[in-house]
Amino acid sequence: MNASRILGTALQYAFLGLAAFLSIFPFFWMVISASNTSIDIIGGKTSFGDAFSTNVTNFFTQVDVPLVFWNSTKVAVLATVLTIVVSSLAGYGFEMFKSKARERVYSLVLLTLMIPFGALMIPLFMMMAKTGLINTHIAIMLPTIASAFIIFYFRQSTKAFPTELRDAAKVDGLKEWQIFFYIYMPVMRSTYAAAFVIVFMTNWNNYLWPLIVLQSNETKTITLVVSSLASAYYPDYGVVMIGTILATLPTLFVFFVMQRQFVQGMLGSVK
Amino acid sequence: MNKMILSRLAAGLFAGASLLASTAAFAGEVTVWCWDPNFNVAIMKEAAARYTAKHPDTTFNIVDFAKADVEQKLQTGLSSGTTDALPDIVLIEDYGAQKYLQSFPGAFAELSSKIDFSGFAPYKVQLMTLDGAVYGMPFDSGVTGLYYRKDYLEQAGFKPEDMQDLTWDRFIEIGKAVEAKTGKKMLGLDINDAGFIRILMQSAGGWYFDKDGNLSIADNAALKAALETEQKILQANIHKPAAGWTEWVNTFTSGDVATVTTGVWITGTVKAQADQSGKWGVAPIPKLNVEGAGHASNLGGSSWYVTAGSAEKDEAIDFLNEVYAKDIDFYQKILTERGAVGSLLAARTGAAYSEADAFFGGEKVWQNFSDWLAKVPAVNYGVFTNEVDTAVTAHLPSLGQGANVDEVLKAIDSQAQGQIQ
Repeated sequence: MNASRILGTALQYAFLGLAAFLSIFPFFWMVISASNTSIDIIGGKTSFGDAFSTNVTNFFTQVDVPLVFWNSTKVAVLATVLTIVVSSLAGYGFEMFKSKARERVYSLVLLTLMIPFGALMIPLFMMMAKTGLINTHIAIMLPTIASAFIIFYFRQSTKAFPTELRDAAKVDGLKEWQIFFYIYMPVMRSTYAAAFVIVFMTNWNNYLWPLIVLQSNETKTITLVVSSLASAYYPDYGVVMIGTILATLPTLFVFFVMQRQFVQGMLGSVK
Repeated sequence: MNKMILSRLAAGLFAGASLLASTAAFAGEVTVWCWDPNFNVAIMKEAAARYTAKHPDTTFNIVDFAKADVEQKLQTGLSSGTTDALPDIVLIEDYGAQKYLQSFPGAFAELSSKIDFSGFAPYKVQLMTLDGAVYGMPFDSGVTGLYYRKDYLEQAGFKPEDMQDLTWDRFIEIGKAVEAKTGKKMLGLDINDAGFIRILMQSAGGWYFDKDGNLSIADNAALKAALETEQKILQANIHKPAAGWTEWVNTFTSGDVATVTTGVWITGTVKAQADQSGKWGVAPIPKLNVEGAGHASNLGGSSWYVTAGSAEKDEAIDFLNEVYAKDIDFYQKILTERGAVGSLLAARTGAAYSEADAFFGGEKVWQNFSDWLAKVPAVNYGVFTNEVDTAVTAHLPSLGQGANVDEVLKAIDSQAQGQIQ
């Protein structure tokens, strides 16, 4: 009994260790590569090199880093805030207001999850072209704001929201939007945090749609810049790795800052 | 108080929105899409600088995307029919040119009436010709050469003269001798890349498609000879296997192999190994044993196209004509600074093309490449080169296991037929 328990624990640790290795190794490799020259990277060098500062200097001379980061941050933060406001209102609405058509409309919203983006791309592009929004950051954000997945996520989480709170607030004379802003939002803050992490990562890493819409060097986001560096005939992999590190840092930062709330939010807790 | 919060929120949103609104498109600005900041982008910037020096009213907006991204954007723009979302000039890889020309008729400006194409390498002009009209401006060439390590070959008893006018059979014999004497393999070979097959096939004037663009696999003598040659090399075991591009490059940068057969654009990578200076030579590639076979071929390369709906169409065409079709000095500069070999044959008269290269032991390599450039057989890349390439790649590993080449051809044929439909 005791022996099999130890064996079980050992297996568990072995499995988790392997999983952790598989998750962490690409990051480790990225950091190692960033400190080596392109030739060393191609040669398969697995130890730290001394080219880190050269790579950083090259990256900063080849790329207008402040502009690119400003573009990415602007798009990601604004799109995330708008998505969360719109989609949490929708999720709240779907759960709180009862009507005959509710489930049908909700199914329709969920159905949109099944349409691949490739099918929407050309119609969306034509809409943006006709409204003159091509090559603007608004065009990147607009199609992402009403996110079916986040609406679904908020509706599911709202099921755990105690309706007594809403009833009590109503008795106290609060209007619906006041209940939403002053009671629902603070109570659901871990849900909001989790949604923020998910949406921020999606927007920060968004690639295909910005690629289609953006037409100039001045509007490009970090993902497009790294992609362009990597597709050279002879990519300077050291520089590309600096780019990927810088592109990864903000999502890591957001995740670690909100880690606790994220986990709580994913577990569906209400405080 | 609550209203204030709402109105502040709204004001914030509007302020954010107006900050984001910015538009492109100014009159007289030529927009160019291309990939590779150190190659195409840098070269286009040089070309633009030369043009604006004489035409100060024209400005350029050269936008840098990954190659797959340029293709994706072009495809979306053309499919949606919104021409104002397209650039004025776009770079297209040669293998894909006919796909765009034939899939989107009228999307690209016909240039044959405005530009004299007689000065360019014929095969480059041919690949952008549809129904007798030329639609592009030939740009960089992938004319091929046989780069070889003089030191290794000398150790095995071969002089540079012995490397001229080779056949592939002789190449394999030399390879065996080199391995016996030096322990080095003759070439690096990636069994999951059909580039080598394409070089060999085009050197005999063949391609996956016939002159009319119809699929030609099963009774394609050039393709068959190419596959047979690769099989002989694999069976003679004179190759160092490489998985993927970087590993393949590493086979010769590390000094593990004695030769490299590929496009001229590899020169910069070869020369980047300063410690190997003087040890390399360049010869014409060996010849296949079929009718029409020669020593000149091509791998890769791309060209510029002007979109037909462009507002700056005439300006764009005039720009391409003035720099890419006439400016010999421009071609010297891009050769020296970027290692780019253009397709304008007259470029060879310039100083950079005439120079003897110390890295190659004082050989006039650029004059040689220019000779071969004019001799590259013109073939029809057709609409589906990339699709057929996938089918070929899928069957290359079986060659090494001794599969019958006719059977392999049949298998490629049926897979290609399936992919094209």
